[in-house]
Amino acid sequence: MTLEISHLTTQFGSVTAVDDISFTAKASEITTVIGANGAGKSTLLRTISGLEKPTSGSIKWSGNELIGLKPEAIVRLGVAHVPEGHAVISELTVAENIAMGGLFRRRKNRADLDSASKEVYELFPRLEERHKQLAGTLSGGERQMLAIARALVARPQLLLLDEPSLGLAPLVVEQIIATVNDLCRKTGLSVLLVEQNAITALGVADQGVLLSLGKVVADRPAKELRADATLRAAYLGY
Amino acid sequence: MNLFLSAFFSGTARGAIYAIVALGLVLVWRGAGIINFAQMGQAMFTTYIASTLIISGKSYWLAFVIALIAGAMLGALIDILVMRPLSRVHRAEALNSPAMKAAIPVIASLGILGLLQALAGMFWAGQERGFPAPVAIEGLIVAGRKMPFTAFDIFTIAIVALVLVLTSLFFRKTGTGLAMRASALNQEVAKLSGIRTTQVRVLSWMISGATSSLAGLLITPTSNLSPTTLDLVLIIGFTAAVVGGLDSLPGAVIGGFIVGYVISFVNFYGTPEDIFLAILLLLLIVLLVRPSGVMGTKQVRRV
Repeated sequence: MTLEISHLTTQFGSVTAVDDISFTAKASEITTVIGANGAGKSTLLRTISGLEKPTSGSIKWSGNELIGLKPEAIVRLGVAHVPEGHAVISELTVAENIAMGGLFRRRKNRADLDSASKEVYELFPRLEERHKQLAGTLSGGERQMLAIARALVARPQLLLLDEPSLGLAPLVVEQIIATVNDLCRKTGLSVLLVEQNAITALGVADQGVLLSLGKVVADRPAKELRADATLRAAYLGY
Repeated sequence: MNLFLSAFFSGTARGAIYAIVALGLVLVWRGAGIINFAQMGQAMFTTYIASTLIISGKSYWLAFVIALIAGAMLGALIDILVMRPLSRVHRAEALNSPAMKAAIPVIASLGILGLLQALAGMFWAGQERGFPAPVAIEGLIVAGRKMPFTAFDIFTIAIVALVLVLTSLFFRKTGTGLAMRASALNQEVAKLSGIRTTQVRVLSWMISGATSSLAGLLITPTSNLSPTTLDLVLIIGFTAAVVGGLDSLPGAVIGGFIVGYVISFVNFYGTPEDIFLAILLLLLIVLLVRPSGVMGTKQVRRV
């Protein structure tokens, strides 16, 4: 199950946020998309999950063309998106947020849905302790965990993660990234990780795609990208 | 004392009706972001349908059920035929401004109200007619004493209580209820969770349509039925919704009862002419003291 993006362009009026991007995210690997603020990383993920309409190009997910499908349909194909900013519904409880992620499967596969919710609670025990609390009362890290848990109960094969480290303490970031890494290695989940924090992202990723002003500058194994001092200095600033 | 009790019971029954009117308004406001000015027009239309059935010899209860179903269907039609296509119009830059986006559905709902009133005038000659109640609307007599409430008051309160309990269970305990709450709170996260928000929106219009039909059936026995009799009910129901906070379902119910008691006590202790002054005062006080309503969520931005 690979994600093949070819010649993808997304424009907002006269601004081209994603400019003729092509790359492939391999199955059961972590592919990270890195780049500065405004490089088009979030727009790329939002286009894949159907929230934005691209101007041209193609997004093939295990043979299916995703362009033209609604977000509701894309989740059903096994692609779950955790948008930027710890996207949970603050006015609902932790348990309700998690239940929401599995709603669309409640009639088809009740038993599997129950075990999926049990698994995400095991993955994030802190959420189980707080399952009756409103999501708005959680800390930033817990809200990010909840956002990921909400996506995982859908049992996706591909997880689109947008800046999970945003606004979180380094220790929390490490914990969340480690959990995602574990999931990928143990369950074969494919991950497309968008990060501004390149050091952390390249540390766990297999492949790294470097974006600048909406274009792909480099698409190489993460190890190579980490070692390339020229690219680092020019685009990542470290 | 008897005057007080009469005012209290009458207020409770009136309040129950305004509670479901406000509930219908809040449902569509949360679900579709539209203040539906056609709501009581829909209720008027379905009450005429029920009235026609009863006049033609059908039982009250059959007419009652058909009116509720017709209300739900009318709500669905308005969303599918009018509101949904309107939300997709992007032809001109001017139509895309936030102000126009908010104004277009309001104008459309006023248009639908006009259309429904005109159609009712055509079909039923616009004549004012009575609408029956299933039980007596005169003061109940128990053991030779006249009670401060009527059998119809009890009927109204019981049926509204049933509707409120069922609605609350539906929203809190069922998956569809959760999907509706999630879509109302955050469309984007709801969509990413696989919730079909377009279908959820139709459902909001349907439930709102059915509850307003119920309100129509419960109001008209003590007023009358004409194409415009329910116009004032919309204004009172809207006040109730704002008092409750506009985005809260429990708030709508509480707002409905507050407005019901205010109207009833002014009516019993003052003169009926003062009712609208009292409603206006209530609205002003709430907007000045607690602009987000009794139960409304305050707009807090997290940084």
